[in-house]
Amino acid sequence: MDALLLQNISKSFNHFKAVDDLTVTVPAGSVYGFLGPNGAGKTTTIRMIMNIIRPDSGSVSIFGDSSVENMRSRISYMPEERGLYRKMTVRSVLAYFGSLKNLSPSVLNERIPYWLEQVNLADCAKKKVEELSRGMHQKLQFAVAAINQPDLLILDEPFSGLDPVNQEILKNIILRMRENGATILFSTHVMHEAEKLCDYILLINKGRTVIDGKLRQIKDRYRTGAVSAELACDVGFIEALPIVSSVKQQDNRFDIMLKDNADPQKLLAELVGKVEVTAFEVKAPSLHEIFIKLVGQQDE
Amino acid sequence: MSKILKVARREYVESVKSKTFIISVFMAPLIMAAIIFFSAKIAQTKPGSRPPLKITVTDLTGLLADEIDARFNAHNENSENRQIIYSQTAGDANSFNEQSAVQKDRLREGKIDAYIVIDSNVVSGNGKISLYTYKTEASNIDSLWGIVNLCRDAVIKYRYQIRNFDKELIDELQKVPTQQIEIGQAQGEEKVKDEIEMVTSMLVPFAFMLLMYIGIFANGQHMLTSVIEEKSSRVIEVLLSVVDSFQLMAGKILGLTGIGLTVIALWTFAAYSAVQWKGVDIDIKGWLFFYFVIYFILGFILLSSIMAGIGSICNTLRDAQNLMGPITIIYIIPLMSWIILVRSPQGTYATALSYVPPMTPLVMMLRLAASSEVPIIEIFATLALLVFSVIVVIWISAKVFHTGILMYGKKPRLREVLRWLRKS
Repeated sequence: MDALLLQNISKSFNHFKAVDDLTVTVPAGSVYGFLGPNGAGKTTTIRMIMNIIRPDSGSVSIFGDSSVENMRSRISYMPEERGLYRKMTVRSVLAYFGSLKNLSPSVLNERIPYWLEQVNLADCAKKKVEELSRGMHQKLQFAVAAINQPDLLILDEPFSGLDPVNQEILKNIILRMRENGATILFSTHVMHEAEKLCDYILLINKGRTVIDGKLRQIKDRYRTGAVSAELACDVGFIEALPIVSSVKQQDNRFDIMLKDNADPQKLLAELVGKVEVTAFEVKAPSLHEIFIKLVGQQDE
Repeated sequence: MSKILKVARREYVESVKSKTFIISVFMAPLIMAAIIFFSAKIAQTKPGSRPPLKITVTDLTGLLADEIDARFNAHNENSENRQIIYSQTAGDANSFNEQSAVQKDRLREGKIDAYIVIDSNVVSGNGKISLYTYKTEASNIDSLWGIVNLCRDAVIKYRYQIRNFDKELIDELQKVPTQQIEIGQAQGEEKVKDEIEMVTSMLVPFAFMLLMYIGIFANGQHMLTSVIEEKSSRVIEVLLSVVDSFQLMAGKILGLTGIGLTVIALWTFAAYSAVQWKGVDIDIKGWLFFYFVIYFILGFILLSSIMAGIGSICNTLRDAQNLMGPITIIYIIPLMSWIILVRSPQGTYATALSYVPPMTPLVMMLRLAASSEVPIIEIFATLALLVFSVIVVIWISAKVFHTGILMYGKKPRLREVLRWLRKS
């Protein structure tokens, strides 16, 4: 069963169309990256999933149920705008939001220390929120979202404002949650984070889908025919091969661009036995490059 | 429902722990007590010495010089703090105009503070006592009229004299002591009310209205600050992911109503203790508190719903202050006209104000405390109107709250808010 299904949802604010006929399927148990430039409609879509704002048209279904209210206990959301009650203690904030998520006091007594430990805030339980640093505040916000151990966790820009160490902590927690069967949907415009984490991605721009599907398949689809190899040979030998379009050499490292639809395996076959091959890598385009290319095309 | 109660509980507990609550609960009665205590002390102390008043009196009757002299001297003997330095000029009709012009010049030059002229026919005709002043200082007005009254006494005394009346005897005859006696249920149970008790009895209806005003208005503002704080600290979106906007608003209203009732209960207890301690006997009917709680709850829900709507479309308290102006005026009208309401609790004015929903709890409490003849049908009618208004306002506010709470940046115009309502 799909964790989330959005069908043809649209939302306008005055005359501005924030989300335009968007259809998304998030498979259960996956990490799903929701990518797009600033103002693409990511947050609006997430707010519609959470029923914070209602779509003008289209439908949202979570675990097959079209009522988000029925699913509240199974989903959780960390918004992009971080905010918690500044005068409350870390523990009482977790207890309050946990109780609103229908967790009993006995469950909370176990979960609160567990999640504080997970996000390295065990020493801060009695501190007031206003005493926390920005990074700590953000981790607490994550713990608030995760306290009910949801089946679907929606995170809006979870890595923004975190240092590399804390980004790693968060990434590991997300992967652990996936291993335990949870579905994680997160929005970001930081492509390398999405690349490391996601099984699936959706790229939206101006409220419409640009591309979506399995990350691996998308990367394959956008292969450019670039190969990087370490070879002991003359550049002229490579240039003379009929499937090669261009070559750049730096010492014994060659960046080779193949002609359209040429198979990198064919190149390898041509090289083996004729020259010494110490390294051979078919270069896949980075998500960043795909993002720039597709969004750039749209903006043109 | 359970989520509404959880929101209400947090709102109540966190508010009770806040410094603002502690200050509002303890400081307000303390300040009131301090004002009462110190004003009583100040009233007992003698006023400080004031500069003497320089007066010239022209007695055109030519008969009153001795009487005036006697009274001014008596005044100077009894009032060391404000002496009169006076001179009398003899009444001479021929030279009066000239004399008057000289005195008026002295008045303009500041050599005297006032010039008094007693007409020649004041004893037996319609003559007047005229007080001439020039740029009078506010601090001298009471003393000047006190001096005019001394001259008036002299005229009256002389009028009695020429008719052979004994002034002391007449004064004696005019004295009739009066008293108010409050009787109890049992035969013979009687208590003479002193002046303080009579004034206090008159103030009780006002106190009920004031308590209602402070309870509703001061505590209602908590809703505004609470919503704006949640909006500006961005916690609102986290909340809306676990509760819907109606649950959030209802929970906040419920929690703050609890706070309001707690404050009122504490103040009432403090006021009751103070009255008991001072030994003032005030008869307050128990059912008034029953109505108070009902009107308070409805009035508070009404105002806090309005505040929730206003708070949701504002980003800062300053934004909200502009919208608060007209609402503040509505609540102040009954306070400003309390004397009219107390004197005529069944009058057209009081009845009309009772049917203006934001004012209803204030006016009805004052009317109920001032008179036991408020028809029961009016109580039911005003309560029904209040319930209806609460439903309408909650409906409107919930719609505005739902859209406004996630709006940041420029405050929406009224036209835009109306469009939200139509759309929803």
